[in-house]
Amino acid sequence: MSGPLAGLRVLEWCDELGQLAGKLLADMGADVIKVEPPQGSSARTIGPFVKDIPGPNRSLNFWYHNTNKRSMVLDVEKNRDDCAVFQALAARADILVEDRLPGTMNALDLSYSSLSASNARLIHCAITPFGQDGPWANYASSDLVSLALGGPMMMNGYNTEDVPGAPPIRGHGDQGYNTACHYAVQGILAALLFRDRSGEGQYIDASMHEALSSTTEVGLPYWFYKRQDVIRQTGRHAAATRTDEWLHQAGDGRGIIIYGVGRDNASWKKIKAWLQGEGFGMNFDETRFDDPKARQQARGAPEAAEIMAEMGRFIAAHDAETIYRGGQERRQPWGAVRSPEENLDDPHWADRGFFVGATGEGVDQPALMPGAPYLFSATPWELRRPAPRLGEHTEEARAAVNEGRWP
Amino acid sequence: MPLPLEGIRICDLTWIIAGPTATRVLADFGAEVIRVEHGQSVDAIRLGRPIVGEHPTLNNSGFFNYFNRNKKSVLLNVRHPMGTDLLRQLIAKSDVVIENFSSGVMESWGLGYEELKALRPDIIYCAISGFGHSGRDKAFTTFGPTAQALSGLTHLSGLPGKPSAGWGFSYMDHTAGYYGAMAIMMALHHRNVTGEGQQIDISQVEAGIVLTGPVVLDYTINGRSWRREGMPPGNRAWEPAVAPHGAYSCAGDDRWIAIAVMNDAEWEALVRAMEEPAWARGPKFATNTARLANQDELDTRIENWTSEFEDYEVMELLQAAGVRAGVCQKASDRFERDPQFKARDWWTSLPHPEVGDSDYDSVAPRLSRSPGEARFASPLIGQHTWEVLREVLGMTDEEIAEQDAAGVLM
Repeated sequence: MSGPLAGLRVLEWCDELGQLAGKLLADMGADVIKVEPPQGSSARTIGPFVKDIPGPNRSLNFWYHNTNKRSMVLDVEKNRDDCAVFQALAARADILVEDRLPGTMNALDLSYSSLSASNARLIHCAITPFGQDGPWANYASSDLVSLALGGPMMMNGYNTEDVPGAPPIRGHGDQGYNTACHYAVQGILAALLFRDRSGEGQYIDASMHEALSSTTEVGLPYWFYKRQDVIRQTGRHAAATRTDEWLHQAGDGRGIIIYGVGRDNASWKKIKAWLQGEGFGMNFDETRFDDPKARQQARGAPEAAEIMAEMGRFIAAHDAETIYRGGQERRQPWGAVRSPEENLDDPHWADRGFFVGATGEGVDQPALMPGAPYLFSATPWELRRPAPRLGEHTEEARAAVNEGRWP
Repeated sequence: MPLPLEGIRICDLTWIIAGPTATRVLADFGAEVIRVEHGQSVDAIRLGRPIVGEHPTLNNSGFFNYFNRNKKSVLLNVRHPMGTDLLRQLIAKSDVVIENFSSGVMESWGLGYEELKALRPDIIYCAISGFGHSGRDKAFTTFGPTAQALSGLTHLSGLPGKPSAGWGFSYMDHTAGYYGAMAIMMALHHRNVTGEGQQIDISQVEAGIVLTGPVVLDYTINGRSWRREGMPPGNRAWEPAVAPHGAYSCAGDDRWIAIAVMNDAEWEALVRAMEEPAWARGPKFATNTARLANQDELDTRIENWTSEFEDYEVMELLQAAGVRAGVCQKASDRFERDPQFKARDWWTSLPHPEVGDSDYDSVAPRLSRSPGEARFASPLIGQHTWEVLREVLGMTDEEIAEQDAAGVLM
């Protein structure tokens, strides 16, 4: 079987900002040629490295974000012949995705207007920190800086009483780059569907700043409708005013997210039985706990506070995974705060075949990494090849271009 | 200008945020998104704050309005056999069915994938749930913060030795929705090429784990866990390991500037922008290795400098010097001050019958020939019931009135 994008030719010229966009297309069957300068994409210099030995083929960041691609070395910016090869590839590509700074492509005569002159069906997606125009277009950014300007970061952090003076916090994992790529690929696919219908390609201006600003949930509605900024809170949603805690520390020192307990009678009965079976909440049979309204924290009832205090003792007497599973078995949408790799031990993901094996320089036995973000019944996600070594496919690609065909 | 998804009809059974985010993307790009709503089991976000006015009316939630522009709403009593029949007719006329119920709900309605296929052989059926529709824990459920916690994203956000800061919003509701939108568009392309539809199963937790790839590989290859001492490292860089890298306080209340220095050249630029203070010229900070080793002192000294300035002032000063720097913007900053959004006409407004003129953001990314567009505000509950039954299902007004009288359209 092959993916839903099988047969599509993608030319990628991306570093850490845009590389996920190419992966999302490649993992679903597109034929992605990644163009890299002689020293390699800058993502190849990002650690961690295999067994901590740096090298262009040992970056785990590069390994993860470049699955299913081929690598071709072209010195597009410094060598006119290589630039011509790039043009020849773009003339035969369905999609070009690049993350050069505004102006770079124009200076190399690789603008959309120039490339589309010989390929009207080309979809050219340019991913940049701020978009192609505007006063910040040429400002320098990074994942951190974009998460700050776009708005997500100012919603993450701590109550002042929990950590006095704490700054807003950037969640890790390059989520700014990821979100930029999620939007870029949405645009590419919308353009592809338009091309399916019309035969016409187009240019896509994908700004990370705009993508991130659209990824702040309740932040914008509060400004739009109340002219109010939400405030940061420890381990839970930013809100207009302080709200009840969700994040608790279990007996093993790990976090557990739980929401209000027993809003409905059915789940209250189950949770009460769970606690009382272990000697907690023995007074919960008193009739004053019977009214669901008395059990809601937000209403400020003393019963609700009592329940949460007892829950806190119950949680502290167990490990986070026990509370998570026990809650879920009683239909509570609770979750343990796991470190990402702790999911390797959860058999549910094995049932779904989620983790897949990575190999490469220094790693012969496949090492597990996350796989499909979606399961397609007819055209599934597939790991066809690991991330390429630098220039692994240069020779075959050049030979094909010389023969006037797509590699 | 044409819309890229014109002519695509989505039967939208989603609620809360993850599913509606997926259909917001599709609706922005021009798909006809028909929200099927049930008055007995209403989308809780229709009651979500911020509310315009004193009491929730199902139509005055700013939260709902933000996620449901460009969509239609049909009221249908899906527990009434005639209501189920209308839903089946609507599915037969739709290209896509999307839902984000708990696993098993669609089957209990007799609308599993096989039944959907019987109604429309090339249907694309996308399900977004917490744990997916297979696997031993498929009955477990999530909110966004649950998925963030389990996937590892919450643990990646915080100061060392403190509880997780986590994500101050449902990042994984947004992002599971983005994966839903991408998946549906990929499946539509495949259908365009082959005529074949399919089923798509998205787990919100899996989509979250996908965003932590290098962290997982560092464990499976190098044996390092983010449980180790000093992790998570707050705003300091993990990889590439560089310094300075953080958010520094500025003049005023709760004002911060994010600064990322990725190499020695950028450090030089920062030192020049700070007007070459003597401390910055010492061997303690001459190389990245030295700066990493002396990060506590480095951060204190930089914050002493930034706190003398207004945040936008530092940003301009540093950007002029070529240093990556940006204000930690609140929503008010983005809307009122951010000159980039202004110059690119990012903010727009649409009339809404109950909440009046509503602010919106535009559509990212920007397509040159067939751009997405914010065309109309979110629908009142049931606003398009008659229109859809008439125009999509071809019913006469008499037939619709009959259904209405039988209690089907509520």
